This record gives sequence, structure tokens and C-alpha cells, in this order.
Amino acid sequence: MTTTTRVNPPTGIAGIAAPSARKPSARSRVGRGLGYLVLAVAAAAVMLPFFWMLLSSLKANNDVFAIPIQWIPKTWHWNNYVHIWDKAAMGTWLENTLILAVAVTVLQVLTGSFAAYGFSRIRFPGRDLLFFLYVATIAVPWQAYMIPQFILFSKLSLSDSRWSIIALQAFGAFGVFLMRQYYQSIPEELNESARIDGMSEYGIYRKIMLPLSMPAIASLSLITFVTTWNDYLGPLIYLRSPNLWTIQLGLQTFISQYNADYALIMTGSVLSVLPIAIIFMLGQRYFVQGIATTGLKG
Amino acid sequence: MKRSILRGFGLAAVAAVALAGCSSSNNSGSGGSTPTSGGSTAASSAPSSAPSSAPSSASEAAVTLTMSGWTFSTTPEFKTLADAFHAAHPNVTIQLKEYDAKNYDTQMTADLAAGKAPDIYELKNLQDFITYQSGGQLMDVSDVAASYSSGPGKLSGLDDYKVDGKYYAIPYRQDSWVLFYNKDLFAKAGVPVPDGKWTWDDFVTNAEKLTTALKAAGDKDALGTYFHSWQSVIQGFAQSQTPGASVTGDDYSYLKPYYQRALELQSKGAMLSFNTASTQKATYQAEFGKQNAAMMPMGTWYIATLLSQQASGDADKFNWGIAPIPQYDSSTFSNPVTFGDPTGMAINPAIDKSKVAAAKEFLSFVGGQDAASDLAKIGITPAYVSDQVTQTIFSAPGAPTDDLSKWTFSNHTTKPENPVSKYTQKIQSILNDEHTAIMSGSKSVDSAISDADKRVKNEALNQ
Amino acid sequence: MTTTALRSPSRSRAHKRRRLVVRNIVVGWSFLLPNFLGFAVLTLVPVVALFYLSFTDWNIFGHANWIGLANFRRLVHDDSFRIAVENTIYYTAFHVPLTLAVSLGLALLLNRKMRGVAFFRTAAFFPYVTSIVAIAVVWNMMLSPEKGPVNHLLNVIGISHPPGWSTSTTWSMPTIIIVGTWREMGYFMLLFLAGLQTIPPELHDAARVDGASAWQRFRKVTLPYLRPTTFFVTVILTIWSLKVFDLILVMTNGGPGQSTLVLSQYIYKTGFENSEFGYASAVSVALFFICIFITAIQFYVNRRRNR
Repeated sequence: MTTTTRVNPPTGIAGIAAPSARKPSARSRVGRGLGYLVLAVAAAAVMLPFFWMLLSSLKANNDVFAIPIQWIPKTWHWNNYVHIWDKAAMGTWLENTLILAVAVTVLQVLTGSFAAYGFSRIRFPGRDLLFFLYVATIAVPWQAYMIPQFILFSKLSLSDSRWSIIALQAFGAFGVFLMRQYYQSIPEELNESARIDGMSEYGIYRKIMLPLSMPAIASLSLITFVTTWNDYLGPLIYLRSPNLWTIQLGLQTFISQYNADYALIMTGSVLSVLPIAIIFMLGQRYFVQGIATTGLKG
Repeated sequence: MKRSILRGFGLAAVAAVALAGCSSSNNSGSGGSTPTSGGSTAASSAPSSAPSSAPSSASEAAVTLTMSGWTFSTTPEFKTLADAFHAAHPNVTIQLKEYDAKNYDTQMTADLAAGKAPDIYELKNLQDFITYQSGGQLMDVSDVAASYSSGPGKLSGLDDYKVDGKYYAIPYRQDSWVLFYNKDLFAKAGVPVPDGKWTWDDFVTNAEKLTTALKAAGDKDALGTYFHSWQSVIQGFAQSQTPGASVTGDDYSYLKPYYQRALELQSKGAMLSFNTASTQKATYQAEFGKQNAAMMPMGTWYIATLLSQQASGDADKFNWGIAPIPQYDSSTFSNPVTFGDPTGMAINPAIDKSKVAAAKEFLSFVGGQDAASDLAKIGITPAYVSDQVTQTIFSAPGAPTDDLSKWTFSNHTTKPENPVSKYTQKIQSILNDEHTAIMSGSKSVDSAISDADKRVKNEALNQ
Repeated sequence: MTTTALRSPSRSRAHKRRRLVVRNIVVGWSFLLPNFLGFAVLTLVPVVALFYLSFTDWNIFGHANWIGLANFRRLVHDDSFRIAVENTIYYTAFHVPLTLAVSLGLALLLNRKMRGVAFFRTAAFFPYVTSIVAIAVVWNMMLSPEKGPVNHLLNVIGISHPPGWSTSTTWSMPTIIIVGTWREMGYFMLLFLAGLQTIPPELHDAARVDGASAWQRFRKVTLPYLRPTTFFVTVILTIWSLKVFDLILVMTNGGPGQSTLVLSQYIYKTGFENSEFGYASAVSVALFFICIFITAIQFYVNRRRNR
């Protein structure tokens, strides 16, 4: 029995009447319409800052923070969207950010899910303690060990190059933690039967665990991608040469010591959000792809 | 297995810290060895990091020095200085390394710690100076300083870099705070412009008069004055002007009259409230440049910004001038007291020995007359004070032409905003907390001051 | 790997068991190694160095002189540290349950095929993707006490003295809590969505056939299956709340006064603004132990529940 995305009936959250999926009635249609309305208003409210960013990117610099707030630009500066490409190296920044985000994501997902399998499916002494140690490092604030880490990286000749950021982000404990938790929800019986069938652990990982954990992998990928994309402090310390700058770094060059091109900063920020929003919108159904046919009966 | 892991980590940790601890005493021509591709937009340089093999005289063999700077696209002073020096000393090339304007201190600290800082670097403000100095990150340049007559007059701010009788940096730039005022708005309100002899009480009276008059004249947006949200706008004056006041003492009652005046201006609506200014991210460039305030205390760096914004249309075109900042009392009218930190150049002690002479030559250059006039031409207030510099600044298109502005620019006693002491950074941080508490209306002036006294004693002075 | 255990003497059985254990160790570590190597060298070493530094008076330059427990003794008497701990706990205690509830609610709400669900999910995720500077700026403007639209609205509906939001020492932390939840809800919604996919729909159908109400289905079917995800979300959310930094930095910078000063920010200030890295390391160690303590409790509770 193939199941595709199937409904989990809501639990009356936000006071929205739960539309019965089987017998649409007039009342439930009104309820559904109302539900949509509420959702639409909520969505608009949630995206308010983004709208402000968008509108500000079309203003003159000194109007961005005019008091009182101006939502609609007094003068429309559409050429900001041209300026940012020729006045600034937006193309280079975009390219760098993309390369880094993809590299870090791929590495995090691969090594993370790999290690998570070890933590979740194989029993060896000290496993749980080591796992706890992993999670514990998430508890140390990065600002605290930023400098010793920078010194270490410099000694390893790892600073001022893309490898520094990749090394910094790709081996975190977060991915391991997330994947391991997800694996816990996959029944052990699958592993047992595969082992009995003679499959090696690596085979089980590749053929069973990975495909089953698509939603988690999709989530981890997106989260890692976004985190790397928006990362500011890391590149600030490690990527000094202008040809290595990411978008967040590049936008800072619009802030000089005594002045700032606020409108251009907003333009860059809008352009920075768009790729992610698009990727998300296109890929978000993978987060809710149902469990495929693997004979998973309750 | 567990124990061996622990031991391994212990060793690694010790190794890492040992490496960290040895950062000051080492090695390689910091930064100069790998010309990080794109040592950027500037510098008339052959990316050849040819370290010179030559003797100490800079005027003979080819030398390449590395120097820091920030946001080159909008801050031309570094390229200006590098190019001018190269023109005078063709055998010395200066390679610029770009940093981030807002986070310069963080980046420079990281680089110095890792031994990757350039040969010459700027001290952006005085707060980090003592840390760098006590950490051995600044070369003794007393010989360069000796060639300047220190004390008020020639090289403003030089003494701020003196520790234990030795000088560790040379200032090339010294901004001071003055009072910017909008002549057109004064005329509209019918209030006489500042005459250079105001006390703070005069200032408050005039600000309130302006606010009422401008509203009556139909101007809805303009207020008498604008105080930016920085702590220095109030504390800097209190500390520099009140006789006997000290940043590093433990009695901050001298702040009281200054805060009371600011709170009065706020409550009478003569200036934008702190809460509105900070939550709406008011920018001083917009407040004065768009004529929302008739007067504004600000640093002299704003002269260049205002001129360029008026030229580009980001600011309105109106007549403006600068006047001496209001004083504590009339005794200092002839030599107004204000505050400001110098920006200086220092030499990284890890520099290659053969380059030291060239580096010192450069430092000597940046504090001198030629550099000063080059800087003045791009609107920077150099540390070197002279009539010629004042002339140059005010000959820029759009600059005020009245005598008071020119007099203001060259007549002042500038005290450091951050007096050099190992407690300064910590104390300023504490005072900033109290500043936001007072101005946001969360704490009364008296309780904030007593909290400041207490906290400074416990958290700074007793450590 | 069945062995003819019946006929082998016990020593051989133990021998086989040991071989199994060794095999598990080898295989287990082979899975861990790629991630662990990078992690150990690049993260673990600096973290251990950090612990060492907390016993020194390092100011980045020069040597780190050993001063034993002096930093920790100073911590005990440090009022600012105490305030930072209180603020951090305050933030965490409210932010975690609020975000959990909102993000779980969103996930449940948006976990179905309806028109435009992709759009709504993207909308929920937007706050997380938008630059934090823009978020801080817009929220501050909207909550501006005198000129902002929110207080304007409150005035209209009759509240004459609306809160000062981020400019008031009483309301600044609640403001941060709300903005923090708004920002992170999409992120955790995503994780919950992934977790919701592990629930076999047949269970829900069966329960419905049995006459269970929506709420009962939620408690008896959804929640138990979600436990690993909920555990993960709770742990991460708690640790992040205890470490909150950039939101506060851009929105209030610890102010007004010290009302939103939190531990991470205190560490940053002490380290980078006051150059007291040894002391900052000691504060980090304190924060670390607070996190560990709370996380250990969560692990323990979770393990108990799993039995």
C-alpha cells in the first residue's frame, strides 16, 4: 500500500475548525475559507520585515531610516538593483557563498548521517558517553573559543581560504545529533532482518537508512545551507581577501566608518534571501514525503 | 581507550595554548609573505613581497611594507597616504590589506594573536591601545615622536600614545567634537546664530527657543537639536570639561548636570527622544542633513561626509557652519575644551628587522605637514594642526566660509575620549550601561550614578 | 551470526562475544571516524584549550599565566555575571515552551495537502532566513514606544500607557522572547514536520475507527511517535536559548541598562571589549556547565521515558 502525503488531522490549534476530509459540508467550507484568511493574515504579518526590506531597497539612502517610518519610498530607486552588481562585487560574493554553502552542506550531511548510524545502530562501549560529549560541545558558545581556534587554524595554514570555513562548519555535532534522533524512530527490525539477510552495516546504511531518512536529510541540508549562507562571524574572521568574501561580508562594505549606503545594504539582503526562499518553496515537499513501501506495518 | 583520549587532548590543548602564548615573540614577516591575493583595490604596488636585503637606510634598497586599512571603497585616506609616501620614497612600496570598518578591532586582534598582522597598522581608537601596548604588540617609536614638538599645537594627540615616557604610535588624524548648526533654520526661527561663547545652559535655552519658533514658523519636522545615542555625546563632554573629572576615578557625580540637561531637552521635545532615536535607528547624517535638527554636536569627520552628501543629493542643500562646542563655563571661551580620540599608526614588533627604518620613515611622514595637507584635501582632519590645513579643509566646494567656522576648527583643546589606562575599556562599558538606563527613562540620574560608582569599584578598579 | 552455542564450551562463547564486541567497536568507529576526526581536531581541541584558559589570565597577547581558581572566585562575587545568569535563565524558561508549542502547532497545521501549503510553509520559514539585522531593525521600529504602529494601535483600543518594549527594562526581555520565537518557529516547524512523517497513517486511521477524538489521537499516537524529534528539538532549543547572542546584540545590545545582558554577550564583552580572555573563558565554562546540567536532566528524563 503506497501512502503519499497523508493528512494528520489538526488538533484545533489556533482555533481553526478542523475540516473533515471526508464530507465537505457548507459549514466546513466556510470554516476552511476562514482558516485560509487567518493563515493569509498571519503569513503577511510574519513576512512584514521582509516587505520592509524590499521597500527599503528601493529608497534613497537617507530615507531608509527616516523618522517617522516611511513604508513607501518617496522616490523609487530601481537602479539600486543594477548598482549592486556593478558598483559592488555581488557576483563574486554570490558565487563564494554558494560554493561554501553547498560544500558544507554536502559534507555535514554525509559525515553526520554516517556517524549518526554508528551512534544509533551499533552498540560499542562508551558510545552513549561519547554521544553526550558530542552534544555537549554544542553547549559551548563559539565566541568563547573563536580565538584559540583561529590561532590553531592559522598554524594549520587554514585561514584566509575557503577551506577554513568548510573545515569550521562541516564537522559539527549538530548534524550527527539530528540524524541520530531520526534514526531512533526507524524500527530496529529493519536492521535485524537486513543483517540476517547478510547485508553489511555499510550496505544497510546506504540502502535502507539513507532513503528512509529523506525528510531528516532534507531538513538538515536546508538548515545547514541557510546557516552557512547567513554566517557572518565565521567569514569575518577567516575570509579576509576580498575575492573570498561572502554576501554577508560584502554587504558590510557599504558601511563605512561614518556613513552607510543603507538602501544598497537592503538590496543585497533581499537578493540574498531570494535563492533560499526559492529552494525552500521548490523542495519543501521532500520534507513531507511519505514513507515509501518497505512493508512498514505498525 | 578513554584515558588515552584524555591524555591526547591534554597534550593537544597544551600545544594549542603554547602556540597561542608564543604569538608575540615570533616570526615570519607577518602578512608580508603571502600577499593575500587581492591585498585589494589600492596601493601602487608590485605584488612582489621582496623583503629587502639591504641596510637600514630606507632610501636605498627596495622595500615592501604591508599596512592595514578598512573599507577602501569609501575610505580613501589609506591609499592617499600610501601613494604620497611612495611618491616621496620611490623605493618603498606599501601594500594595503583591507579590514572591515565596523569590526576592525576584532579582526586585528585575531590577526595579531595568530601572528598574521601587517607591518604597520592603525589604532582606530584609544580603547585597545593599552591592551596592545601591554601585550607587546606595539614597537617603541619614541625616536619618531621626538621629532615633533609634543604638547598643544603641532601634533595633536601625540601624548595620548605615551606610556612610561615612551611613545608607541604616531597620530595621523585627530577629530574633535564641535557644534554643527543650520544657518537657514536659525534664520527661519529668528534666533541669532551661535557666537562661539555659549555655555551649556545657553545651548539648552537656544534649543528650546528654536524648537518653539520653528514650529510656529510652520516647520513640522525640525527640532532645536539632535543628540546621537552614543554615550560619548553626553559623557565625553562631562569628562573633558568638568574640572577634576576623571573617567577612571570612582565618583561620577560630574555626569549629573549634563544628563539633567539632556533629559530636559528630551522632555521638552527640543530633541528626538533617546528611545525613538535608538529604536528607529536614527542616523545623525539624516537628522542634520535632512534639516530635522537646527544644531548638532558631532565630530569633525562629519564635515567631509556632509559635503559629499550635499553634493550627491543625499542631504539637503542648506547653509551651515560649525561653532565651538558649548562650554562648562565662560573661563574656557578663548580656548574651548572638547574631546576626541586620535587615530594613529603603529609598527608591528614582528616586522622584519630590515624594514624597520622604512616603517619608521613612514610613521614620521604620516604625522607631518605634507601628509596633513594631502589628508585635508580629502576632508580628513589631520592631527597636524596648522593654518594651511584649515585653509585646505575650508576651500572644499560647499564648505562654510564664515570666520567662526574656521576659528572653531583650529582653536580647541582636545582631551582624549578614552584616557589611556587599563581600566578604561571596562569602565566605559559600565558607563554605557548606565547611559542607556538613564536616557531610556529606566533609571533616575542619581541612582544610575551611584550604581556606576559601585560597579566601577567592584568590577573594574578592584580587579 | 548464529553459532553452535549449545555445544561450545563457555570459554569459546565468551571468546565469540568478545569478538563481536571488537567487531562492533571497529565497525562503529569506522562510521564515526570521518566526522569525528574533523570534529576532534577542529572543534574539540580549541574547546579543551578554552577550559585550560579559564585558569589563566590570558589577554590574547603574551603568555597565559596560570592563576588557578582566581577567575572562578571572581565569578562568584561578580554582580554582572549574576545578572547575566538570571537573564539567561529568564529567557530560556519562557522561550523554550513558547517556541515548542508554536512550532509544533505550525507543523501539525501545515502537515497536509492543501492549496498553497508550500507558500505558508515558506512564509513560516522566512523569519529564519531573513538577515538578523533587518529583523531587529523592523521589530524595533514597529515597537518604537512613541512612534511605532504597535503602540499606536494599543492607544486606539484604549490602553493609554502601552509598554516601552525594547526601551523599557521591564519589557525588553519579553520583547526578545517574542521576537526570538517568531524567528525560530519556522526552523523547528521544519524539524517537527520531518518527525511527523515517521508516523504511519494507518495508526491514525485505526484510532479514528476506534472512535478516538482528535486530541486523544494527538496524545496517544502523535506525541509518542514524535518523542525522538521532540527530545532533539527541546535539547537544541534549550541550548540555543542558553547561548542566545546575535538577536540580543542587534536588538538591544544588552540594554537598556543590563536588562537583556545574557551570558554569551557577557562573554563576548569581557573577551573582545575588555580583552580579559581568561575571565571570559571562565564565564564560558560556567555557561557550559549550566547547559550540561540541564541537558543531562533532559537526557535522563528521556531515557526513563523510553524504558
